[in-house]
Amino acid sequence: MSTSLYPLASLPQIEKTPSREDGIPDGLEEELRAYGCKLIHEAGILLKQNQVAVATAQILFQRFWFVTSMKQFGIGDIGMGALYLASKLEECPIRIRDLINIYDLLLQRKAHIRAQAMASRLASTSAHPRTEFKYTPMSYFGNTFYELKDALVVAEMQILKRLGFNLTVVLPYNTLVNYLRVLGLTSREDVCTKAWGYLNDALQTPVYALYSVPTIVCAAILLTTRHLGIGLPSAPENCWWELFDAEWEDLWNVCGYIMRLYRERTSEDHTRVMGMVAKKGVRQWLEEHRPAGGEGH
Amino acid sequence: MSDSAGPSTPSRKRSRWDIEDEEAQLEQAQQPVKRRSKTKSAKTSPAPEQTRSSAAVEPQRTTAVYKRPPHSIFVPPRTLHPPLMPSRSVYCYERLNSIEEGSYGVVFRARDKETGDIVALKKLKLDEEKNGFPITALREINSLMVCKHENVVGIREVVVGDTLTQVFIVMDFIEHDLKTLLTTMPAPFLQSEIKTLMMQLLSAVAHCHERWILHRDLKTSNLLMNNRGTIKVADFGLARRYGDPVGVGGLTQLVVTLWYRAPEILLGGSTYSTAIDMWSVGCIFAELLLKEPLFQAKGEIELLSMIFKLLGPPTTHSWPDYHTLPLAKSITLPPPQPPQLRQKFQYITAAGIDLMSRLLTYDPEMRISAVDALKHPYFSESPLPKHPDLFSSFPSAAAGEKRRKPYESPPAPVRAADYNLLTDFDP
Repeated sequence: MSTSLYPLASLPQIEKTPSREDGIPDGLEEELRAYGCKLIHEAGILLKQNQVAVATAQILFQRFWFVTSMKQFGIGDIGMGALYLASKLEECPIRIRDLINIYDLLLQRKAHIRAQAMASRLASTSAHPRTEFKYTPMSYFGNTFYELKDALVVAEMQILKRLGFNLTVVLPYNTLVNYLRVLGLTSREDVCTKAWGYLNDALQTPVYALYSVPTIVCAAILLTTRHLGIGLPSAPENCWWELFDAEWEDLWNVCGYIMRLYRERTSEDHTRVMGMVAKKGVRQWLEEHRPAGGEGH
Repeated sequence: MSDSAGPSTPSRKRSRWDIEDEEAQLEQAQQPVKRRSKTKSAKTSPAPEQTRSSAAVEPQRTTAVYKRPPHSIFVPPRTLHPPLMPSRSVYCYERLNSIEEGSYGVVFRARDKETGDIVALKKLKLDEEKNGFPITALREINSLMVCKHENVVGIREVVVGDTLTQVFIVMDFIEHDLKTLLTTMPAPFLQSEIKTLMMQLLSAVAHCHERWILHRDLKTSNLLMNNRGTIKVADFGLARRYGDPVGVGGLTQLVVTLWYRAPEILLGGSTYSTAIDMWSVGCIFAELLLKEPLFQAKGEIELLSMIFKLLGPPTTHSWPDYHTLPLAKSITLPPPQPPQLRQKFQYITAAGIDLMSRLLTYDPEMRISAVDALKHPYFSESPLPKHPDLFSSFPSAAAGEKRRKPYESPPAPVRAADYNLLTDFDP
């Protein structure tokens, strides 16, 4: 029974996020949010962290960008801070050094992939040598560690401060189980797995900071049942989602967010996002894409 | 088509929200986001958009017949969720006086500059943290936010100072703590008053346990009391969430102030649960009756022997799992002896003794829960619990008030003379 009121972004926060205010386009912000969450997810797997902590971290991460611009903090640092904080919240704390090592590995690997992609684009011929990624661990007392540690501690504190220390997070999984039971779908393993998967994928979108859990769960069930061709009462007066207090427009909007995650992306899109994990990359991008004649504004 | 769809939307909205005007207004404020979502969904795929608009038209024709039921209590409307709000600055408050210095923070009395409300500011000690924000402070803030209740001290917000190491929890200011009150009040609490206090304490503990929070440090100095006969559970510095099954990941034995510590923790159990709070409640109940702590032991061994003396040593019947506890082997039990509760508490009814013995039950599995204790006959027999409004008030040490001396003579009229002098010189 979770009637606790977790915070959701307010209307002005949704209409104009701080990043958009700073000139980062809508689509790019969405990509960066998703990418930051993927990093959290990968780090969580490598750290063998519980899914509850990973999901909580991703929700805190998504909330953060409704109160802060990506020009001010990098998605890498904030993701790391969110995972560290969420691990404490969920009573499964992780060691600071483990987390830093994992993020260092992930970022080195991404940098390598990006460099490869850039090189292949420049060469424009398929005949260029592909180098294997080789991880070089940081030295135990080296600067890298202390710099990352500082960034991590600052990120954690900034998340706390900017979210007003209200870290109430409600995860959707038990609601999904209950709803599937009500709908008599628990015997269909494919339905359960797919809906569960949509809920997890939705963690890469801002929906958990925008809509209440029942709405998101209904969206996951809607996508699942449509995908598997299962009919549920959907004519007015007998709409199954109304049973769970969800609104069709909200439902459809959440589905839109989730489905946009799966769209085709060019390799340019990939390298662009990978280059913006730190705020330096974001600032550089903003410099390069300053609107022509922007002085007038 | 667009004409009919246009007005249909508001009427549909109104039909659903006319139960509460305030909500209807908030719903109006929601409108832009709806419009935005509509364009989004239209972009993604037009097919469901048609279903939606037909769905919107349908209810318009049948408004009189069809009315959607209001929200379930488990799904509060979107508008009731708080927005994402950054912490305010500590300079929103004016510091008045310091109340106490706890083990890991200082508490100040302060005034909200905007509203004039008097609050308690608890400064968290963050200077020597190697692992970022301390998990204990995180647990405290989270527990307070999750456990909002009439008898739990209210957390208003968390504010920050200039640097990242200055964090303050803002709580409602409560005049007294029960410990100081018990030692300074002229006459002990009446039975009827004790019942009220116990019911308040039990309902707060039940509320925390229902929200999966263990307090782990219940004692009289952590129970605050205002001048309107209401106690508030405070100091969640040792609180933490627990799960089912309990103790996953291991729980520390370094919890609960010694005198209030349950026997299963004393004997090294690491899978303790809500029952440890109930033992503390039993100790508090006894303290309210005795006006002094029940087990004033200097060490853990002394405490155990005091418990054994009062309740009789545990037997395989009263505590079947006793021998599985880590430290049970190193303890030599005294010879069997009946409990001495009746001798200790002579002026209490049989129901009172029964409640006490259910709270101070050895076996944590058998110990009474907060919800069950609230239903105990002790609370429904005469004298009935006293209404909180009928409690007397006391001068507050925390607010810097002093007890007025019984025969204090009125002060000499010095001020008046001074005042005259000043005005005389005025041109």
